[in-house]
Amino acid sequence: MNKVIVAGAALAVAMTGTTFADTLKIGVATSQTGGLATYDGPVIEGLKLGVDEINAAGGIGGTLIIELVQKDVRSDAAQTAIAAQELVDEGAKVLILPCDADPALAAISVVSSAEVPAISTCASSPTLPMIGGDYMFANFPGDNVQATVSAQWAYDQGLETAYIVYSPDSQYTSMPLYFADVMQALGGEVIGKDTYTLGQQDFSAIATRIANMDPQPDVVMTSAYEPDFPSFIKALRAAGVTSQVIGSDGIDSPTTFAIGAAADQLVFTTAGHPTENSSMAAFDAKYEATYGKESQTVFNAIGYDLAKVIEAASLAAGPDADSKALRDAIANLENVQGATSLITYKGTNGMPVREVTLIGVTNGERKLIGQPSPNPAIIPAPRMQ
Amino acid sequence: MDLFLQQTVNAFALGGTYALLALGLAVVFSIMGLINFAHGELMTIAGYTLMYCGLAGISFVFAVPLALLASMLAAVLMERIAFRPVRNSSGATMLVTSFAVAMILQVLFQNFISVRSQAVNIPDVISGSILIGGMVIGTNKLLAIVSTIVMLVLLDRFLSKQKYGIAMRAAAEDFAVARLMGIRANTVIAGAFAISGLLAGVAAILWVSQRASVDPLMGFTPVLKAFIAAILGGLGSLRGAVAGGFLLGFIEIYLAAFLPAELQEFRDPIGLGIVVLVLVMRPNGLLPAASLKAEKV
Amino acid sequence: MGQPLLQVRSLDVRYGAVQAVDGINFDVEQGEIVALLGANGAGKSSTLNALVGLVPTFSGEVIFEDNNITNIRPEMLPGLGMTLSPEGRRVFGTLSVAENLQMGAFGLRDPNEIAAAWDRVFDLFPILAERRNQFAGTLSGGQQQMLAVGRALMSNPKMLLLDEPSLGLAPKIIEQIFELIKTLNDQGVTILVVEQNVSMALDIAHRAYVLANGTVATSGAAEELAESSNLQNAYLGGA
Repeated sequence: MNKVIVAGAALAVAMTGTTFADTLKIGVATSQTGGLATYDGPVIEGLKLGVDEINAAGGIGGTLIIELVQKDVRSDAAQTAIAAQELVDEGAKVLILPCDADPALAAISVVSSAEVPAISTCASSPTLPMIGGDYMFANFPGDNVQATVSAQWAYDQGLETAYIVYSPDSQYTSMPLYFADVMQALGGEVIGKDTYTLGQQDFSAIATRIANMDPQPDVVMTSAYEPDFPSFIKALRAAGVTSQVIGSDGIDSPTTFAIGAAADQLVFTTAGHPTENSSMAAFDAKYEATYGKESQTVFNAIGYDLAKVIEAASLAAGPDADSKALRDAIANLENVQGATSLITYKGTNGMPVREVTLIGVTNGERKLIGQPSPNPAIIPAPRMQ
Repeated sequence: MDLFLQQTVNAFALGGTYALLALGLAVVFSIMGLINFAHGELMTIAGYTLMYCGLAGISFVFAVPLALLASMLAAVLMERIAFRPVRNSSGATMLVTSFAVAMILQVLFQNFISVRSQAVNIPDVISGSILIGGMVIGTNKLLAIVSTIVMLVLLDRFLSKQKYGIAMRAAAEDFAVARLMGIRANTVIAGAFAISGLLAGVAAILWVSQRASVDPLMGFTPVLKAFIAAILGGLGSLRGAVAGGFLLGFIEIYLAAFLPAELQEFRDPIGLGIVVLVLVMRPNGLLPAASLKAEKV
Repeated sequence: MGQPLLQVRSLDVRYGAVQAVDGINFDVEQGEIVALLGANGAGKSSTLNALVGLVPTFSGEVIFEDNNITNIRPEMLPGLGMTLSPEGRRVFGTLSVAENLQMGAFGLRDPNEIAAAWDRVFDLFPILAERRNQFAGTLSGGQQQMLAVGRALMSNPKMLLLDEPSLGLAPKIIEQIFELIKTLNDQGVTILVVEQNVSMALDIAHRAYVLANGTVATSGAAEELAESSNLQNAYLGGA
């Protein structure tokens, strides 16, 4: 009787042993449903494409097969913590968390006590790794960096007075506060601010207020995203405001390009653009070949970036590395070639250094304005709420 | 003064949309005591109809009636499939059923359409604005106000002049006796759902023309507002629902427009505070169902 | 005379474990006024409500003319020629008097028939014609009772069920109501009336059934029952 148990245990050890040697288990605790599914969904598509590509070539370094284990967290913070714990218990060595900082942060205690590195699919709040600690990483240009790029661009265009519309409901939607800081640091002026509620349908009161300002602001900046942003810009234009509007990566979506006249001349920051012969153009081609449709959003490429970052970290740490070693490897990555840009974690607290792209909307078409490097001297410090 | 007038136009437009939404809830509640939280999903269905019409190249003028038809049909099917089996159950059972219907529809939208928000082509005419007496008024504001008035007048005519409209009011007051008169329960309830579907459809067109997009969870916010408005006006009272919708619209717009900047962050709690205050003073709402007895409909 | 207009066979009504009506039998002949008497809780209203399908029949049968109407859907009754004026009147208070009457004629299609129904009801109750645009909720109790009966007449029923028509009314009004019941009966309407006002009911009825504890305790011609001195004490709670 005892022998059977011992033999069974030995077998189990042997099996897990072989599993560890040949596969890298990545736990994906993201939103397939709910409000964040809009962002997590496309990222996971890109991630799968990257993982399949790596596995097709025999795995990381030709030996280590990546295994994705997915759990739907339904855009819910508590569910994220539960899913993260389950995935860690199932032996995940890296965790992928939802796009928004708030649910991602819900998994902090799981992540740090299990010492498993976690990367948010596309959260851009620079406070995420600050609050999340050593094991929490982001995968997107930080809000403060995006705001620096867009404020600098506005100021260089001679747009010196700004009106910001932000929502204190989430870290991401308070990006305009960074924009205001940078504008003022550059010598511009912030002549008004308004707040809104996430999911607010009606922006007519704010639009009417701005329309009645004299003089009109040169630029109106917001990081509202779907479905708030289309409502906002339509209300603003209908009220007669003609100022330049600047947005952020949350509106890098087909919906924005379909708004029509109201969104014409809109400018926003995002994580990448498929210029000719760029890595992103190559990715888009692969995406189309795999999924049989055009990639409609930069968040597909962002998912591919995630696969490349994990691959690079695993290569650096070696196939037998434990999760702690993987974490250290991620923290020391430099110039990993992703689909959207070069990605560097070394020297940061977990908020990667990556390119920021400025996109303009002209007649519903996407036009690259530039991919300027932000001036480090004026990047605002992360703002704790 | 101009600013005040303009904000008042905004308040009428938003309040009108809320009134249509609350009315949709109230029509069904008054007949069968069900608060249909899947009302928002009827809007989503109308929204997706607009989207698919756009993709199919159907002009907006034809897309609008199709969207209205879709939400009406969906409402009637919803009643037939989900609510008829629990018709005689407690209010709580029906409420939970309506939550379940809402969630199932959301998951179906996410799985069979897209989790991502989909663009809806709205003619630029509706996004534009016109100048009236020196004021810039968005065409969609005018559209909202006009549609609200038209819908309210039509509904009032129907309920006060048409045999089936009167039957619905009778059924709302005493369902059992209405049946004894030969008024068919199934017909009245299906009729109530069809009307609520129509109201949801009109509200959806106004809603979607503002946001130019539709997503699986689109219905949540409006149904919540409708619920607040219906409670504010007096649950089960149609006039109350309209009054509650307009009051809620005015509260939201005036607070957003005239609250000092440093208090703007607390706009929502202040707004809900006012709602609670109204309910403390009038626990049964502005125009409770019973008060109808004292006035000519 | 043929078969009775209404036949009730072994009617059994239960609310959960509570037996409200326990296998009663009775008939109503064409042209009769039949009274169902009994104390509170004897099963009178449960019987009426079961007849019209407002409460489910547990077992037994209800036959109206040639139709088995056991557990019928209430909305089918006016079409067959039976209507109920419910206990407590239950007029639609938020509807006008005219709208209440219009609802009473809901199932009628023929405009001539509808016009005749209006004439007949306004003939019987001139006060309703006077107050046709008033909200029913603002009528006095007696006027509401007239409206309830008038509404039930609008579909030209062969048989009218009246549930406690005297409830809560002044004695003078009660007399009027009972007078009216006789008039209707003279016009050919068969009537089944549930009453607690025993003497008034026996006065106008041809026959009566006395219910106690959900069963028929006694029955017979109204005059005979009226003469039986111990009726009140035995079955009607001494009231």
